[in-house]
Formats: sequence, C-alpha cells, structure tokens
Amino acid sequence: MSARSARKRQHRISLTAAVTAALLTAVTACSSTKTSGTGGDEVQLVTAGKLTTCTHLPYEPFQFKKGKKIVGFDVDLVDLVAKDLKVEQKIVDTPFEGIQSGEDLNAGKCDLAAAGMTITPVREKNLDFSAPYFDATQALLTKKGKKYNSLKDLKGKKLGVQQSTTGEEYAKKHAKGVTTRQYEDVGLLLTAVKTGQVDAGINDNGVLYDYAKKNPDTEVTTEFDTGEQYGIGVRTGNDALRKQINKTLKKAKADKRYDKIYKKWFGTEPKK
Amino acid sequence: MTRRNRTLAVRTAQYAVLLIVVLVFALAADWGELRRAFFDIEVAKEQFPDVVTTALVNTVVYTVLGFTFGLALGLLLALMRLSQVLAYRWLAVAYIEFFRGVPALLVFISLGFGVPLAFQVSINQYVTVMLALGLVGAAYMAETIRAGIQAVPRGQTEAARSLGMSPARAMASIVIPQAFRIVLPPLANELILLTKDSSLVYLLGLSMDQYELAKFGRDALNQHRSLTPILIAGLFYLAITLPLGHLVRRLEARTAKAR
Repeated sequence: MSARSARKRQHRISLTAAVTAALLTAVTACSSTKTSGTGGDEVQLVTAGKLTTCTHLPYEPFQFKKGKKIVGFDVDLVDLVAKDLKVEQKIVDTPFEGIQSGEDLNAGKCDLAAAGMTITPVREKNLDFSAPYFDATQALLTKKGKKYNSLKDLKGKKLGVQQSTTGEEYAKKHAKGVTTRQYEDVGLLLTAVKTGQVDAGINDNGVLYDYAKKNPDTEVTTEFDTGEQYGIGVRTGNDALRKQINKTLKKAKADKRYDKIYKKWFGTEPKK
Repeated sequence: MTRRNRTLAVRTAQYAVLLIVVLVFALAADWGELRRAFFDIEVAKEQFPDVVTTALVNTVVYTVLGFTFGLALGLLLALMRLSQVLAYRWLAVAYIEFFRGVPALLVFISLGFGVPLAFQVSINQYVTVMLALGLVGAAYMAETIRAGIQAVPRGQTEAARSLGMSPARAMASIVIPQAFRIVLPPLANELILLTKDSSLVYLLGLSMDQYELAKFGRDALNQHRSLTPILIAGLFYLAITLPLGHLVRRLEARTAKAR
C-alpha cells in the first residue's frame, strides 16, 4: 500500500458508509408481511391464521382481563367472526386514541377494532364501521348519596372523563362551569370516582352499570340519552372484512347466539 | 459559639427536621388503607408466576434489544461526529440533538405508526421496540462514546500510525477498545435508563404475552383495583437496576484505581 496517505480520507468514509449500509439492510430486512391491501372480495389478514383485534383494556363487561384471559361481550362477538373465517382471535391492547383515529388499522397493527366504540361522524372519516351491534348512551357515576343528578349539579365540581371518548366530547360541549379531569383508561377513571378524586365520572352506561353493581358504594345517577351505537372498526376500504363481520352479526342475531352472549354479560335479554 | 458547637447545632437541627417529616408522614397517613392498597397478599400471589415468566422476561428482552441497537448506532454516530467529512458531522449532530431533545414517549408513538404507514409493511413487535428504544438511547450513547474516544490520549493514535496502521485500523483496534474501557460506567448508567424507558412499549400496543413489567402492573391494577401489582412491578425493576447500579460503582472504582 504505497498510496496510503492519499487513501486516508477514503478509508474512513468507506468504513462509515459500510456500517450505515449494513444497518439499513438490517432494518429493512426485518420487516415482515405486507399489510392487507384494500379492495378485493377475499378477507386478508395482517397475520396469517389470526384475526387480530385492537382494543383498549379494561372496558368491563365489553373487554377485560379475567384471570389470565381477556374476555367480554366484544371478545365473544369477534370470536364468532373469527370462527366463520376459521381462524383464531388475537387481542392487542393499545391506547384508545390510536384506535379511534384509525391509525392502528392504517398501520396494520390489527385487522379490526372492537373496543366498545361508538360510531361517530368524525370516526367514520378515520375508519369504516360494521353495522351497529350495541346501543349505548352516556351516563353519570358518583359516590352513593351525592345527588349529582345532572351536569348542572356539578357546577364548580370535578368531573372525570376518559381520553378520546364520546363521554369526553359530551362533557366538553355540555358541562359548562365544570372542571373536567382526563384519565387514560376507564379503570383509572372509575377508581378516581370511588376514591373521591373527582365528584363524578362520565362514560358509557353499560360500563358504569356493571361497575356500580360490583361496587355498591357507587351509583349511576342519570343517563344523558345520547343514543349511541357501537360498531366494529376496519381499515377504510377494507370491505371484504366489513361485509364478513356484518354477515356474522346478522347470522348471530337470527339464530339467537347474539342474545345468548348478551345475556351472559348483561344479565338480561337485549331490548327489542 | 465555637465552630464545633455551631456544626453540632446545625446537625441537630437537620436531624430534628428529618424526624418531624417522618413523624408527620407516619401520623397523617392512613396505614390501614395503605396496607390494603399496597400489601394485599392474595392479589400479590395471583401475580406469580406471570410477572416473572412474562413481564420480567419481556422487560429484559426489550431492554437488551434496545441497548444493543442503540450501542451500535451510538458508536456509528460518535464516529460520524468525529469524522473529517462535514456532512457526517452535521448529520450526527442533528440526530443527537433531535433525539436527545424530544420525549421518548413521542418517539414511540411516531415510530409505532409512522414506519408501517411509510413503508406499508407491518413490522415485528420486537423490531419496533428495538428501533424505538435504540433510537432514543443512541443519541445519549453517541455523546458518551465520543467523549470516551476523545479521552484516549492522542499519543495512542500516533503510536499506532507510526507502526504502520491505517487510521481506520488504529481507530478500530487501538482507540475504540480503550474508549470503551473509559465509558463503561456511563454506558451501564444508560442501560439503567433504558430499562425504565422500556415501560413505554405499551404505546405500541401489546398482546398479553408481550406485556412488560409496567404494563403488567397497570393491567393488574385495573383488574384487582389494588396497587399491590404496581409495587411488585416496581420491586422487579429494582431487581434489575440495583445490581446494575452496583456494577456502575464497581466499574467506576476500577477506572479510578487504574489512573
């Protein structure tokens, strides 16, 4: 190597370049399956052989951890879809803002989102919904005997809301003069009500009634009659899966499997 | 007052304040409530063995993945930062300033969504974790390693060069090994920080077999409405970080002795 000094600079450059190249290859090589494209009649899954569900725990009785398993109303319904597709359901717990913004679905984190999620015009822009599968409305949970029967009674008090939910939207619009405090999940929100960190909490009635039943020191004082409906979300344009979900739901309602699951989690038959 | 008396008086006052703080806390706190919330034996029992077999294991795996990638990238950045090529130096500085300046939480969210959106591929969970933790860790490690390289006496490079080594060879086999010896304690410190940062992995979305300690604890908090799992998770973090802290002190002592 006689021209060593002339190569001095070149050497260093080529070393760094080589490492950079190696690193880049390593990163791109690790990427695996392509996310399901839109269009087409056949249902394409993000992970072959698995129906991956995005949800946000806990949302009892729709989805929550019991022992070492995730169970609930939504879980049972999606299991029916998975059965019709002859695959197993796999549940991924992820922050709710990623679900309702549609980014979890766009990023191919899951095939569908079942998270006790109300169909709203804003969310319709971010993702596609199945046919409605559950009727809900906003309600108010307080400690027993507090007598907060409306948002007016809460003037100057603290109201707990859950991040990115329709309850938070409702509170923003209607709870004038009320201090709202935001919680990341409904478990934290309910504990805040129970321990008196907030005077009341707003959330969907199904969840609140279930909690009040299991925690007799709390009660649901009112419903706001917001007339909401839950839908299962799929990536915008993923019609094949959306149609399959609707088909399964329709079949389950017709042969009463839906009613059975409803009774299992809510103790009553669904209202007709 | 003599100087000795004054020292004594100041010290007595300090101890008195400390005692009062402890007493106020001990008397004001509701110990029954605290014990119910944090030391529920039944709830504690239910956390085993999953808290070890799943949560602890995942925390360690995530941290090791992130640290390994971060170390490699950090070394590369440190070399770029010291390079004679202007563009490399700029790139390295920009990277370091950016990732040192934004919260890891935002990096996790952007990466979790951004990469799959940009390349239309779904990435293996472990790779995403490795990237996210590594990208953040690399910024800090690059600066540490750079300081280490610069702390190696120039004479070492000169001696290596006069033996006929190329600059790259001198850097790789003479300077970098000595630099690493110098920066081992701060690197172990970075490992401790990454262990705790691995608690942000929940932002990427996890299935139950992917839970790490913090997510496991929070989940159990929701399930049992008891803070006991949070305490248990915290203790397991300490089980990782305390030995590492001990290692840092040992390494520091060794470096001090070697000088």
